[in-house]
Amino acid sequence: MDVLLDLYRDMWVVRAFELGLEREFKKGNVPGMLHTGLGQEAVQAAIAQSLRHTDAFFPDHRCHGLLVLAGTPGEKIMAELFGKATGVCSGKGGSLHSADPSVGNFGDNAVEGSMMATALGVALAYKMQKRDDLAAVIVGDGTSGRGEWHESLNLAATWKLPVLYCCVNNGYAISTAVGKAHATENLYEFACAYKMPSIQVDGNDIVAAHKATEEAVDHIRKGNGPFFIEYKTWRWQGIFSGEFRPDDEVHYWREEHEPIKLAQQHLISSGIADAAQLEQIKAEVEAQVEDWITFAKDSPAPDPAKATSNVYVGWEIAAR
Amino acid sequence: MKRMTIVQAINNALDIMMAEDERVFLLGEDIGHMGGDFGVTRGLWEKYGDERVRDTPLSEAAIIGTAVGAAMVGMRPVPEIMFSDFLGTCYDQIVNNAAKMHYMFDGQFKSPIVIRTATGGGFGGGPHHSQSVEGWFMNVPGLVIVAPATPADAKGLMISSIENDNPILFLEHKALYRVRGDVDESKYSTPLRKAAISREGTDVTVVASMKMVHESLAAAAELAEEGISVEVIDLRTLRPWDEETVFASVRKTGRAVVANEAPKMGGLGADVSAAISEECFSALKAPVRRVCGLDAPIPFSVSLEKLILPGKDDVKQAIKAALA
Ligand SMILES: Cc1ncc(C[n+]2csc(CCOP(=O)(O)OP(=O)(O)O)c2C)c(N)n1
Ligand SMILES: [Mg+2]
Repeated sequence: MDVLLDLYRDMWVVRAFELGLEREFKKGNVPGMLHTGLGQEAVQAAIAQSLRHTDAFFPDHRCHGLLVLAGTPGEKIMAELFGKATGVCSGKGGSLHSADPSVGNFGDNAVEGSMMATALGVALAYKMQKRDDLAAVIVGDGTSGRGEWHESLNLAATWKLPVLYCCVNNGYAISTAVGKAHATENLYEFACAYKMPSIQVDGNDIVAAHKATEEAVDHIRKGNGPFFIEYKTWRWQGIFSGEFRPDDEVHYWREEHEPIKLAQQHLISSGIADAAQLEQIKAEVEAQVEDWITFAKDSPAPDPAKATSNVYVGWEIAAR
Repeated sequence: MKRMTIVQAINNALDIMMAEDERVFLLGEDIGHMGGDFGVTRGLWEKYGDERVRDTPLSEAAIIGTAVGAAMVGMRPVPEIMFSDFLGTCYDQIVNNAAKMHYMFDGQFKSPIVIRTATGGGFGGGPHHSQSVEGWFMNVPGLVIVAPATPADAKGLMISSIENDNPILFLEHKALYRVRGDVDESKYSTPLRKAAISREGTDVTVVASMKMVHESLAAAAELAEEGISVEVIDLRTLRPWDEETVFASVRKTGRAVVANEAPKMGGLGADVSAAISEECFSALKAPVRRVCGLDAPIPFSVSLEKLILPGKDDVKQAIKAALA
């Protein structure tokens, strides 16, 4: 099967997962805060496709779909977001802190950008252990103001570490436009200053995003040190109170330059698939996501003993 | 047995662990050919090379982040933060990442790092090179704080710390670096979470840490001449601290003084004294007293610094008040 058809299915996993999750969130079934990856499906599909289980990746707060694409059973991710016992972290991590080392998921860190530093250590260790695996870190544009962001680029370049930087530039950090808060709106330019190979790519074009990611990973695996990819994209989610971006901008990204539509056009025009096939993929994925939601809903709450377990390795904490 | 300073004892522990376990590596500022600001890593770069004794830029958050990431995939990093005052620059990495990871991912990752850092006052380092920071970290579940007072303990505790699977903040008091003592040259470990009874006594218990152990021992020696018998406990692990040893001693003596160099408010002294009051109330013959630093930054001038930091005479006074 054509890899693009795989990627198309993957994009639908992200889309359907987030739409289902958002629906349940609005019903009050999902606790906490919700950040969705809607609109960024191509970026997530491209990254997941290029990594392997022995790599390490640090997902960002919009990567629910990517966690599934990485190989964790969808129901375990969904159950984690519902705070259930069957979740991948027994309900202790939730949306912003789900990890699964068995597929290379090293966990999100909701202190945005902090894992830029953690990724260095994994990459350094892999190098010392003479493995040819890499550490990927997925971060939003907003993290480029963090000190760790710059410390990380500097050290990865200086030490030639196998780090893949996936910078998801969706134009805003909550409500603040990239250019209003940073010296450049083209974040790959920061990587240039650190003498790190980099590329800026249309993150809504799955063909381009896939190609860029494959090339970056190949560069790193050959022992050439880090690579920085800036994916230009756009998130559907505005701010918590609603949409704040101008109408023409919303129209462009949601209608004209919407990643799944673009992929459909490409697949059909290049004869890889027909409309019926694509419709079938969508229906299959949607049905699967509904099963995951049912599983999560039907799962029990975590065992109360979990509240105090694993604070320390090997030590219990004092009772109340 | 060999006479060693604390600097040499920690150096010896690092050397033993690096020779024995390839996963152990060091990173920090000027720890390589220079051997660190205080010489703790001297000679290790020559022996283990650039890879395992890794000089870094002034990127404290990246130093700790790198250590945590490497620990997640099986390494045993020992990062150095030159002065504990700088821990503010990597506080997030320690508190939100290293200390929470095992819990929030429900046991799927561990973060066995030992953060070495020079702490404490008494040498005219001024406001940014003299603080006692244990209070900043007392409130952090998942973190261990280790703080030796003698060369033998410094070595044994360092070995235990590197072998332990939890993230550890290892405080090295600058004023104690040159303290000498007999140290066994072979490999041994000193248990974590176990206080030491540095001097036995029957009238009053002094619970101390780091430099205040020495101040308390000096106070105890002088008071012995007045017929007062002081028991001095060296906590050694500050978080989680050894309640069993402390409570047993206080139940025996009926009086307690807690001696800690950091500011009084919200610190180790507050926690230990509150716990003693809570658990040993019926055994207490007097209120628990705290000997701590004053609630001020550490000034530069040595004459002013002396007014802020607690010392032997403050311990003596508190003991006498407890006995009054
Ligand atoms: C260090 C830190 N500061 C602030 C926040 C609060 N916060 C959560 S998401 C966010 C914006 C992040 O923007 P960006 O990285 O561009 O990601 P996006 O949400 O646009 O995908 C902020 C400020 C945080 N979680 N961590
Ligand atoms: Mg953004």
